Amino acid sequence: MQRSGFCYVNGTPVLETRNLIKDYPLGRENVRALDGVDFTAVQGDFAVINGPSGSGKTTLLNMLALIDRPSEGEVLFEEKPTSRLTEGELALLRREKIGLVFQTFNLIPVLSVAENVEYPLLLTRAPRGARRERVAARLDEVGLSGFGKRRPDELSGGQRQRVAVARALVTQPRLVLADEPTANLDSTTGKQIMELLQGLNTDHCVTFLVVTHDPSVVDYAQRVLTIRDGRIQGEEKRGAPRPA
Amino acid sequence: MTIKVAARNVFRNRRRTVISLLVIAIGLTILSFVLGFVGEAITAAQRSLAMELGAFQIGDPRVLDGKASGLEALISPEIAERALALVGDLPGVAGVTTQVRFAGLIGDETGSTLLLARGIVPEDCMTDYACLIVAGRGLEGSDAREIVLGERLAQRLGVGPGDRVNVATGTVSGTLNAATVTVVGIVQYGEAQVEERLGFVSLGFAQRLLRTSGVERILVWLDDLDQSTAYAERLAREFAAEQFPLAVRTWDELTPFFASLQTFWSAFSGFATLAVFVLVFFSVLEVLTISFLERTREVGTVRALGASRRRVFTGFVTEGLVVGVVGGLCGVVAGAAVALLFNSLGLTFVPPGGNMPQPIRVAISTSTLTAPFLVALGATFFSSLYPAGKNARLTVVEALRSL
Repeated sequence: MQRSGFCYVNGTPVLETRNLIKDYPLGRENVRALDGVDFTAVQGDFAVINGPSGSGKTTLLNMLALIDRPSEGEVLFEEKPTSRLTEGELALLRREKIGLVFQTFNLIPVLSVAENVEYPLLLTRAPRGARRERVAARLDEVGLSGFGKRRPDELSGGQRQRVAVARALVTQPRLVLADEPTANLDSTTGKQIMELLQGLNTDHCVTFLVVTHDPSVVDYAQRVLTIRDGRIQGEEKRGAPRPA
Repeated sequence: MTIKVAARNVFRNRRRTVISLLVIAIGLTILSFVLGFVGEAITAAQRSLAMELGAFQIGDPRVLDGKASGLEALISPEIAERALALVGDLPGVAGVTTQVRFAGLIGDETGSTLLLARGIVPEDCMTDYACLIVAGRGLEGSDAREIVLGERLAQRLGVGPGDRVNVATGTVSGTLNAATVTVVGIVQYGEAQVEERLGFVSLGFAQRLLRTSGVERILVWLDDLDQSTAYAERLAREFAAEQFPLAVRTWDELTPFFASLQTFWSAFSGFATLAVFVLVFFSVLEVLTISFLERTREVGTVRALGASRRRVFTGFVTEGLVVGVVGGLCGVVAGAAVALLFNSLGLTFVPPGGNMPQPIRVAISTSTLTAPFLVALGATFFSSLYPAGKNARLTVVEALRSL
């Protein structure tokens, strides 16, 4: 086992893409958003996928999150191909093994903070006691233990993103995907969120993939993949993260 | 959790929800009022007919079916006695009486007019004409030479209580017979045409006038009118076993127009129900469609978190049902309140062809309140299907892209 600087990485692939291609019809023509992406994320990775607008970052994230299907190629989750899985089987994978953090937080406004965090556990039909316990632990971890009964609109942007992070981690997933998690936050709050993700990566040894065009986020990554015109242009491996 | 989330979503846009609930409540108030009015009209007609005709009648089938006059097929005293004994064995019999009806002439030396008389047993107190008396008194004694006249008939003859009139009719053997009787009372009857010819005499006097000891029909009242058919069938079997030449007809068989009346009112109620259903359906459809489409991004989020299409669909349909339940309850309560208020006004009307004011009331019962509630529930359920299905069918990426 190798110390990554974030957690011990054991080399087991969590997510792998093979020659991933995604075409979108535009009038009579197809526009290629992803053009042969090969990429592997192992357990404990903290990788950033970086690139300018329109480079294919979000398209790639959608494929990795199993919420969109590639036109060609394959996404393997825990070394198993996913292209032949049904909608229901993909939903089950997302429910149990993937956590998502969105740029705009995407909290459900009618639910309290605790209920938002609890929501993915309801989908897994976890018992009530276990749900309450896990929600409390995750809220504590993200520094919102006293905020459970508040509504999302009573929180700041940074607090909302913390709730979204707690929600992403509550099912103890193998992989957390974050789409521009700092884009709607000021730089100080953005830094706090990245430090939080970094800490959680270390504590839980969960694989984190962060898609961003924010150069400051890149500094927190163990691996940085640059995407341009739908292709991975290069990968930079970093020995240790930037000190907080 | 699904219901909790649905309920919170319903009240997310209070103004829109209040409009939906108002539409449902107003529709349901109207519907429960209409159903209550119709229900009361049918019940009143049923009560009135059953009061006059009994729960069922026993007699010669030709007479009961209107194919022969009563005098052509009277029930002999022996058979009447045995039939009455069988009726007496039935549980839940509220009363029994015998009748004979005949047509004749009534008048004095100055003129005469047609009389349709009913020979009744006053002491049985079942033919409740006594409550219709507006002047004088009821008949006394089983064969007294007395008559109670319909008000219009009395007016036409220019007579009142204490006056004497002559009654003439054909006997069962075809000869004529006549007698002088004393008018002891005047009745108001619901139908003007009937009241112009109606007279009540005692059964004994009628039998003497007709020169017979038979009766035309036996009328039976029950504690529970709903048992009429069952009891009638049971008696018919017993009569057949004893080879009595008698038939049994329930009150509704004796009044075919009641079925037509019921069909008309049912069609009217059905139309009102359909109209309210359509009103609620389209109003709620519009509101739910807007409300659901505004939350497409939320659908994308929960789908991305692993919620199935079915869960999304169920969530939205539950919202529709929450609107239906809340709107339905508001409508039912408002409907009952309006009906109570209306009944407290004590309004009356004189029906066409009638001459007595009838109360206009609105029934407030489980059925008149449950049906509108179910209409609200059904309409909101069906109106939620389209927008719920549309949202559930979206792909996660499409839903997340929505603004």
